[in-house]
Amino acid sequence: MSEVKTVDNMVSITIDGIEYKAKEGEYILNAARANDIFVPAICYLTRCSPTLACRICLVEADGKQVYSCNTKVKEGMEITIDTPNILEERRAIMEVYDVNHPLQCGVCDKSGECELQNYTLELGVDSQSYMIPDTKRETTNWSSVLHYDPGLCIVCERCTTVCKDMIGDAAITTAKRGGADLDKAYKESMPKDAYSMWNKLQKSVIAPSNGTGETNCSDCGECIAVCPVGALVSRDFVYQSNAWDLKRIPAVAAHSSDGAQIYYEVKPTSITDRTERIYRITNEWSYVSLDGSARFAYDFQNTTAVKDQATFDRAIEAFKKAETIRFNAMITNEEALMLQTLKEKMGIKLYNPEVRAFQKFLNHYEAASGNSLWSTDTDAIMKKTDFVISIGSSLRNDSPAMKYAFNNVQKLNKGAGLYFHPVGDTLIPTFGKNVEIFNHKVGLEEAALYLVLDLFANKDKLPSEVKEYIESFKSTRTEIIKEKVEKTVKEMVLNEETGEEEEVTKKVKETVDKEITVSSNGLIDLLGGDASKFDDVFAKMMKKKEHFSMMLGEDLYFHDKAENIAKLVALIEATCNIDVVMTPPKSNALGVALICDLDDTASGYTVGYNENGDFTLSALGTGDIDMPAMNQQEGTLTNIGKRVLPTNAAVEYEGYELNDIMKALVDAPELTIDWTAMLPVDKGFKKVDFDSLPNTFTNEGVDNRGYILNTNNCDTELPEVDKFDENSVLEGDIAYRCNPARQFNDFTDKSHEIFEAFGLYASKEKAESLGEKAEVVFENGSIILDVIADEKMTGDIVKVSDFRAAQGVYDLFGDARYTNVTLRKV
Amino acid sequence: METTLVENLPQVTAAGVIIKAVLILAIISALAGFGTFIERKVLAFMQRRLGPMHVGPYGLLQIAADGIKLFTKEDIVPQHANAFIFKIAPIITAATAFIALAAVPVFPDFTVPEFIPLLGGTFVPSIASDLNIGVLFVLGMMAAGLYGPLLAGMAQANKWGILGAARTAVQFLSYEVVTGLSILAPIMIVGSLSFVDFNNYQTAGVGSWMIWQQPVAFVLFLIAGFAETNRTPFDLLEHEAEVVSGYATEYSGMRWGMFFIGEYANMITISVIAAIVFLGGYDAASTFGWLTIMLKIAFFFFLMLWVRAAWPHVRPDQLMWLCWKVLMPIALLNILITALVLLG
Amino acid sequence: MSLEQFKNRNVGTQNYTTLDVGTPPETGTDKFLQVIRRAVKGELFVGLWVVMRTMLQALFKNDMHTVKYPFEKLPISPRYRAIHDMLILLESGNYRCIGCGLCEKICISNCISMDTRYDENQRKEVSEYTINFGRCIFCGYCAEVCPELAIVHGPRYENASEQRAGFSLFEDMLTPIDKLNLQQEYDGFGAISPNADENIKQTPLAY
Repeated sequence: MSEVKTVDNMVSITIDGIEYKAKEGEYILNAARANDIFVPAICYLTRCSPTLACRICLVEADGKQVYSCNTKVKEGMEITIDTPNILEERRAIMEVYDVNHPLQCGVCDKSGECELQNYTLELGVDSQSYMIPDTKRETTNWSSVLHYDPGLCIVCERCTTVCKDMIGDAAITTAKRGGADLDKAYKESMPKDAYSMWNKLQKSVIAPSNGTGETNCSDCGECIAVCPVGALVSRDFVYQSNAWDLKRIPAVAAHSSDGAQIYYEVKPTSITDRTERIYRITNEWSYVSLDGSARFAYDFQNTTAVKDQATFDRAIEAFKKAETIRFNAMITNEEALMLQTLKEKMGIKLYNPEVRAFQKFLNHYEAASGNSLWSTDTDAIMKKTDFVISIGSSLRNDSPAMKYAFNNVQKLNKGAGLYFHPVGDTLIPTFGKNVEIFNHKVGLEEAALYLVLDLFANKDKLPSEVKEYIESFKSTRTEIIKEKVEKTVKEMVLNEETGEEEEVTKKVKETVDKEITVSSNGLIDLLGGDASKFDDVFAKMMKKKEHFSMMLGEDLYFHDKAENIAKLVALIEATCNIDVVMTPPKSNALGVALICDLDDTASGYTVGYNENGDFTLSALGTGDIDMPAMNQQEGTLTNIGKRVLPTNAAVEYEGYELNDIMKALVDAPELTIDWTAMLPVDKGFKKVDFDSLPNTFTNEGVDNRGYILNTNNCDTELPEVDKFDENSVLEGDIAYRCNPARQFNDFTDKSHEIFEAFGLYASKEKAESLGEKAEVVFENGSIILDVIADEKMTGDIVKVSDFRAAQGVYDLFGDARYTNVTLRKV
Repeated sequence: METTLVENLPQVTAAGVIIKAVLILAIISALAGFGTFIERKVLAFMQRRLGPMHVGPYGLLQIAADGIKLFTKEDIVPQHANAFIFKIAPIITAATAFIALAAVPVFPDFTVPEFIPLLGGTFVPSIASDLNIGVLFVLGMMAAGLYGPLLAGMAQANKWGILGAARTAVQFLSYEVVTGLSILAPIMIVGSLSFVDFNNYQTAGVGSWMIWQQPVAFVLFLIAGFAETNRTPFDLLEHEAEVVSGYATEYSGMRWGMFFIGEYANMITISVIAAIVFLGGYDAASTFGWLTIMLKIAFFFFLMLWVRAAWPHVRPDQLMWLCWKVLMPIALLNILITALVLLG
Repeated sequence: MSLEQFKNRNVGTQNYTTLDVGTPPETGTDKFLQVIRRAVKGELFVGLWVVMRTMLQALFKNDMHTVKYPFEKLPISPRYRAIHDMLILLESGNYRCIGCGLCEKICISNCISMDTRYDENQRKEVSEYTINFGRCIFCGYCAEVCPELAIVHGPRYENASEQRAGFSLFEDMLTPIDKLNLQQEYDGFGAISPNADENIKQTPLAY
């Protein structure tokens, strides 16, 4: 554990003669920023490790020139931001950055948001002292969304840093540029840091790290966001609009449960079509990182909606007739409350298989632990945790925030991680040296939790039967191993010069047989690990670790033994020093789970909201009556961080809203957002008006958006947990309901910058054996899918996408996320 | 030929007089229209402009265009105007102007050719009615013409019109005195009020022209004539800069046009009188006699345009001052001296 | 100026300078003599001569000042800010406009808009460009801000049109390709300043 994250002790530092408080162990740069002091810095990214590429953040600390991005504050440190020497260095650095930088600011997509431009002006560069022949650098497209213009690139490495430290893909890296060598005379004449910066800059360029021209990454586009110049742009946005023409609308990413902060940036479509459309998504990239769906799935608005009284009347009829409303997690808290109101007043069943399992799991968890919600969130994990465990979540696909947190802990907090999941993944091990993967058999999630208990629990607190149960997996045996030992041998040697005998000490290596006692943990073997080596590995992992977190995923909610798992989680929280975070399956699943009283089954006449039904309300524009999509309505969403976040309408909407139907059916307030203050207080919501919800981050990076749900915590006795059945595992062909990264629902599917296909994802070998198309036969039906090879998957389990509601994948899987299927080539 | 015009008359029939009257009406009306064209052209040239150029060759058909415009414009009578008087006022102006021409010899006499049915052989005199008080009649009719603007201004229920009417009354009345007095001296010399007698008095060549005997009377008559015809520098009746359009403010279309036909007819009348009384008139015997009077008339007409281009307006008070305190005493003095000379 | 001075309606006492016009004649005789003096001075005849001379010059020396406007036009000052021209590069015939959007941004009556796109040659291309001349106040900011001297105020001041769209199309403002030889480097509004060379610093790219 690095001391940065642990201690919140404040120290006093002096910056330019004024005393400030700073967190101990904070970098000077961050301490200054937290106190609203400007220190120029190009390459440094908050929440990522210092790159030291730009060297412009030079400051003088206690009389020495240091880089403020990687020097930690100390008590009583005296910091001067500008000294004549530093100003000279900085100016030289900026001049170097401007050497051969194309003067195409007129057409550059950065259009005035350029940090190079800003710092060039800030540091008053009005003439150029350096020169070197330029190298021809061609623009390339790295992927379906990434456009790279190396001519504009200043190789600050922010993109590579964020990709490695935050996103975890490490898909891009610096490569050779083939530029000319610097004139040696510069070494004498130039400031030192500027020269070495230039030396490196002149040699490098950014390129996909796999050596090909294309990145094999999750296409999250975070590299675009952090690029200080116009080198990295979304392919779709190239030369589309000047930044200043775009109107920013603060909102929440709608698709995953991350609830990431985003801005919809809108502008009229064209000269002839003045309706506004979303041109791109931006974010406060210092404080929040987006996944691909948040950044690129934005044009899912319902454009065809109109108000038509006849249709509306039919909708009212349908609701009056309805026995069930089927919906999914892509719904605001306010709408969820409306549906709940319908249930209460009209007795309509609410059916939402996506959320129901999660809701039940939460209920079990609350019953077992006394806590209504989990204890931590992904931001806190990134800030504090140094040991992170992931169970039951396909990190790469399910929850981008958890993936980023898992990765960031490894990279920044010198952390370690345990990853339990049946589907093999080649990306997770690359997050860090201390990441241990357990590709266990399907159904053994309980075993993983027992292992966590074994490894981390305070054994004194554990109930004795649990302790015994865990011990029952352990066995000891003696083994004879060969060990190399060094022996010290004393010898008498004749000194030839003196002729005297002297005693000389020699070290001699020899191999001896040794009998040792090996304790073997059966749980580890069961989970697919190597018990014999694990102890050593684990000991290494545990070095200097203080804060532990566990991330639980969707697999657990859909598990047969979900109740027992919830109890085990509660037991882990009670007996281990581990914070827990659970990922709500999809967008607003947590909100729905808290607000709605969901039913297990659907029956009778069904009204589907973005789902199949006898009468369908659809924000996709495909149903019987149109509803506003998430980017067309105001409302709140509840995210993985237990926050209730306000989102705003970016695009015009002409049709009816759910609240219009509510007004016709029951007593409803005037506006949808009037429901915000009516959200159930007993579930942790607060009586706050929508318009008074904040939507900001502080300079220190503290998330101030919306409010955090109140959690009910009460002391309960330790839950009684069941043993698990190590034989109740799935064998044979197994299908896993899991979407490709960036795809979450019909709305992401509709977005034109999301290309991941609906299909059967399999490891390369499996895909080859299946051919181009395969029929997946379930117990209650079958589906024919395109087979898509996912290079990062290993093992035999196949992933079946579920993001198209019309395909009815949820119904095929029933209450499980894994199921036995028969795969047939088609 | 040493004969007078009157002696030369074969027989003046009613038919001949009517033909003459129609001819005067038609030709003078046309000349009045043409006069506007000439005025525009002359003013334009004097200001280095081209003037009307687009309708017809050199803009000649501008008169026709204006005529069509005036005839087809809506005839508006203001709500509170005295409609009857409002309507007859322009007729008075135009009518008196033409009636005055009855006693003025214009164009040579001729006999309608025999081959024309009905009128064949009819003798058309050069003067419609050779009154022995021709000068008096002409001046009287012109003076009566002031009722046009006066009534027009008073009938139209417009304050600018009232101002115009008031100015009409004072200006025309005042200058009537000067006109009369200035021409009295030549009348005393000639001893007749007939224009024919004036003409005959001056047939002995340029040296016998009245202007040499009565230069002061000539100047006074000219000044008074400008005022009587409402020409710059004395066009105060409808002085745009002060009273919008004076007595004609509310008029439009052909009614407005009739005021101007009257004005231009008066200009011609004054020119004719000046030419006959002071510049020797026509020489009935000479082949070019009628041509010379035409040139003389044209010169006076041109003089009016020329003056308009060169000189500014005078103020109303200056106008009145000039009339009563300067011109009238001079005119009286002139008569006195003439009388003394005649007596002597 | 204080408010009191505005409230003083006695205009005769305010900041008027009296011209010396001499003493006006008081007695009738003086006035009469003044008239005589002025009349005999012959100025009236000078006036007559002046206009006559003008007429003779106009008629016989062809010194006529009329411009037959729709058929004849006088050259207009290069400083005049009339309908915009979009210039193109003489060498290639490409638009000079790079689509930077500065004119759109600076336009104070908000009447310029443009659509841009990424073209086949990896350049920014202006796919559509309009100026709403109903709103344009011809302030000239667009021409002034244009970094490429692409948009300038041309000399075309006759703004009547049968169609509103007539003046707002990019193609209409652009120099047509067949009239390329007629495009003149515009020295009018929006053009580079005459001393631009003096203000340019040399870049050290002398390798």
